[in-house]
Amino acid sequence: MKPIRSWVAAGVLSQVAILATIALSSGLSRADAAEPLRVQIDRLISFQTPGYEALAAPVALDDEFMRRVTLDLIGTIPSAADARAFFADADPAKRERLVDRLLATPEYARHMQRTFDVLLMRRLPQKNVPLAEWEKFLRESFAQNKPWDQIVREILTADGSDPAQRGPARFYLDRDGDVNQITRDIGKLFLGVNLECAQCHNHPNIDDYLQSHFYGISAFFVRSFVMTDKEKLVVFAEKADGEATFESVFEIRDKVSKGPRSSGMKLFEGLTISEPKFDKVDDAYAVKPDDKDKTLRPVPRFSRRVKFAEWVASSDNRRFCRTTANRLWALLLGRGIVHPVDLDHTGNPPSHPLLLALLTEELAARQMDLKSVIREIVLSQTYQRASRRNALAGAPEPRDDQFAVAPLKSLTPAQFAWSVMQATGETEAHRIALGEKFSEETLFTTLQGYEQRFTQLFGGEPGRPAESFESTADQVLFLANDPAMMNFLLRKNGNLCDRLLKLPEENPPAIADELYLSTLTRLPTAEDVQDVQNYLAGQTGDPRTACMQELIWAIVTSSEFRFNH
Amino acid sequence: MRCNYACGTAEHLSRRTFLQGAAGALGALSFGGMTTAQAAQQLTSAQKRVVVFWLSGGVSQLETWDPKPGTDTGGPLQAIPTSVPGVHISELLPFTAQQMHHLALVRGINTAEDDHGKGAYIMLTGHRPQPGFEYPYIGPALASHLMPADSPLPGCIHVADGASAREASFLGPRFAPVGLAAGSPPNNINLPGGLSAEQDSRRRALRSKLSGRFAQGRRQAETEAYSASYDQAAALIARKDIFDFSSIPDAEQERYGKHDFGKQCLMARKLIENGVTFVKTTHSNYDTHSENFNFHIEQLGEFDRPFATFISDLAERGLLASTLVIVMCEFGRTPRINHLVGRDHWGKAWSIAVGGAGIQGGAVVGKTNDNGTAVVDREVNGGHLFHTYYRAVGLDPTKAFWHEGRPFHKADPKADAITEILA
Repeated sequence: MKPIRSWVAAGVLSQVAILATIALSSGLSRADAAEPLRVQIDRLISFQTPGYEALAAPVALDDEFMRRVTLDLIGTIPSAADARAFFADADPAKRERLVDRLLATPEYARHMQRTFDVLLMRRLPQKNVPLAEWEKFLRESFAQNKPWDQIVREILTADGSDPAQRGPARFYLDRDGDVNQITRDIGKLFLGVNLECAQCHNHPNIDDYLQSHFYGISAFFVRSFVMTDKEKLVVFAEKADGEATFESVFEIRDKVSKGPRSSGMKLFEGLTISEPKFDKVDDAYAVKPDDKDKTLRPVPRFSRRVKFAEWVASSDNRRFCRTTANRLWALLLGRGIVHPVDLDHTGNPPSHPLLLALLTEELAARQMDLKSVIREIVLSQTYQRASRRNALAGAPEPRDDQFAVAPLKSLTPAQFAWSVMQATGETEAHRIALGEKFSEETLFTTLQGYEQRFTQLFGGEPGRPAESFESTADQVLFLANDPAMMNFLLRKNGNLCDRLLKLPEENPPAIADELYLSTLTRLPTAEDVQDVQNYLAGQTGDPRTACMQELIWAIVTSSEFRFNH
Repeated sequence: MRCNYACGTAEHLSRRTFLQGAAGALGALSFGGMTTAQAAQQLTSAQKRVVVFWLSGGVSQLETWDPKPGTDTGGPLQAIPTSVPGVHISELLPFTAQQMHHLALVRGINTAEDDHGKGAYIMLTGHRPQPGFEYPYIGPALASHLMPADSPLPGCIHVADGASAREASFLGPRFAPVGLAAGSPPNNINLPGGLSAEQDSRRRALRSKLSGRFAQGRRQAETEAYSASYDQAAALIARKDIFDFSSIPDAEQERYGKHDFGKQCLMARKLIENGVTFVKTTHSNYDTHSENFNFHIEQLGEFDRPFATFISDLAERGLLASTLVIVMCEFGRTPRINHLVGRDHWGKAWSIAVGGAGIQGGAVVGKTNDNGTAVVDREVNGGHLFHTYYRAVGLDPTKAFWHEGRPFHKADPKADAITEILA
């Protein structure tokens, strides 16, 4: 227990060493360094589950792959035209080319911005920093493909005092600088541990999570506080004194407490970080606090907070790399290798320890270049499995943690909104209307109101985003009856209803092709064509238009549309 | 003249509303073809229901359930006898007095909290506030147990004020309250213009067929939940008549009073009759830091008759025995009358009324001293009240909710039920 704890604590023991040890003892030869990461991923996934090949679904066809990877990388479904071109492409490397094309788009940066916004800020309401500035910071960071450790360092060192750099300070400022909230969220986000229980006592069920761990982290933040400066900006300031102290409520209850203890700065069971000693408190300040001027922001010579950022958000910290690798995997595969992603402890081991070790080392070796790791994951066969198995009746069902079948991931509110608009042709109609002014930015600005409505309805409560799939009657009533949804279905120049009505009435298969490619990124089956034919049979004029809208509605509200599969 | 809200009582709630999303079979709880009386009969023998009358801002216990006429704190108003010999309440509640045999009074409440938000939290969750975590509120908490699994109706409805999904806490959106803003039905309950019922069912049938085809050979838990919510929405649309309050006959409106609160009480009755598990109605505003007596004369004058009519209607329909009714607020008001002839916030010694399911009508428990400044007998807090509510509707308050592998007490384990008022 102890050695593992200390490794977990400081990341001192290289995971490569562990990898090599386990691989040797299990007879698995060390992966060829020249082998692409994606191939190594597939080997380790297969290695973990005896009989994996028989259990696994086949690699998905072009249609399923294209829809999935487009949703995962740019947050919406592809257009019918893009789907047709992709299906017709005979290049064996076309999936790789598609992934590279998607990763280079501005939509990728915006999708990553949304994804990491929800992770980092839990849809907390805007308070001290305009949402737009925070979003811009994230979007530009992902557009430049800044290393993840750098993004996190920028967030954790930001104090908001530079009016041009307010964005990243939102992490602290819109949490009101609350040290307990900051400690808890940093544990969950960057270290893979949910220390919430450990704020008041050692975790009752998890041996690894101690109250001293909570306060070892909070010691870095206990001197920081939110204040309003001379320019009336709410900023994050720091004092040069103040210690984190704690006392277990269990020990108080049992009358065995020896009184509050003080904690130095440390991560888990690692070494306590030392700090420079100053003879006088005044010497510890670059800018001294002034009792008469409460708008003066004190600046200590040694910032515990900056120390934390440099020390934790670094590729040298394997715990940080491991948590990041696990979170990336969970985003793309629907489940963490350590699951849940914020309960990494010895009692909850990873389903694929070798794979997690590999991804951790790769992230570090690639200087935390998220894009390059995402690229390899989505090009692995594991990611590309079909969501349906052609298994014989009675064949054993694979478990979720074997990654043998693609999961059904419910669309996020933003994915759902933009996919509905892409499918119905709302996006296309606005692209045409914007003409020369069209860009990712202008289209987004035009249509973001719809995204907000979806987020309001499907996104859970501010501060508590929906974590698992729930479908409620008010959501369904919106999809079924709301004027905004009905508006997407109406015939407009260039939208789906318009395109379908322009196709010859006597050719239902052509109508079904366009309908299915536009909405579900696949060609219709014979049954689907028959459905379309039956639905439209004998209908002309306005009733035909109504039927067309009903057809589109039935598809965009179907399960096949609601999930990324 | 309206009360000026001296301390800005926050009607805390966002307009965000959820409908509960229980997997429901179409029409499983349909009373189509039955008369209201028959439907009510069926309900009587089945589920328990709960109604909360929330007197926002904090009603004065001295002008309601625990009058102290003739003392230095009693004020100018008198006490009157009720339908229960020996039990007296304020003269501002003459109609309610006639229903006293259906109600029990808890006169020894000490929640030790004088802040609106925290007081409301204690009274609506049974727990003292703690940072970073919220217990489920009474509506979602009780609905999560009492709501029939196949009910197409929301389990928890707030008439009049907003409803926040936060109230469900970890119980999730299935049990989150639905707010009927200004007495209007839930959003989007009507089909869009130009779409006939026939077209709607045609498009739904296709949606369902396509979804079924997709689900074959795939993991189905989530696709089933998604499709079930369509069935549930359809069932809700089919029962939208319960939200149509326009068809209530004039004479009925007259009995309850044609003001907003009278309408809300009627809405509450209709929802309860139709099988909704939890209904909360709010009457504002009792935060009388000045002119306490004039405001209470005005406010309780509006409250008394519709509330009493609600109780007697439920009793007549045989529904009261299975419906727990709670009249409460965030705290009481100071016995001391301030220089503005007002009373301020007071959580130390105050009262609430409960009645119906599991409650012994006419019972009185707890006692304050002669001028109402302290509890002298059977002191209770929010924890005792929650034990009592759970027991009254036949549930075990000592069992915990489990969330993420951790137990959360339904009612404070340091307290227990007020058995003196349980039937």
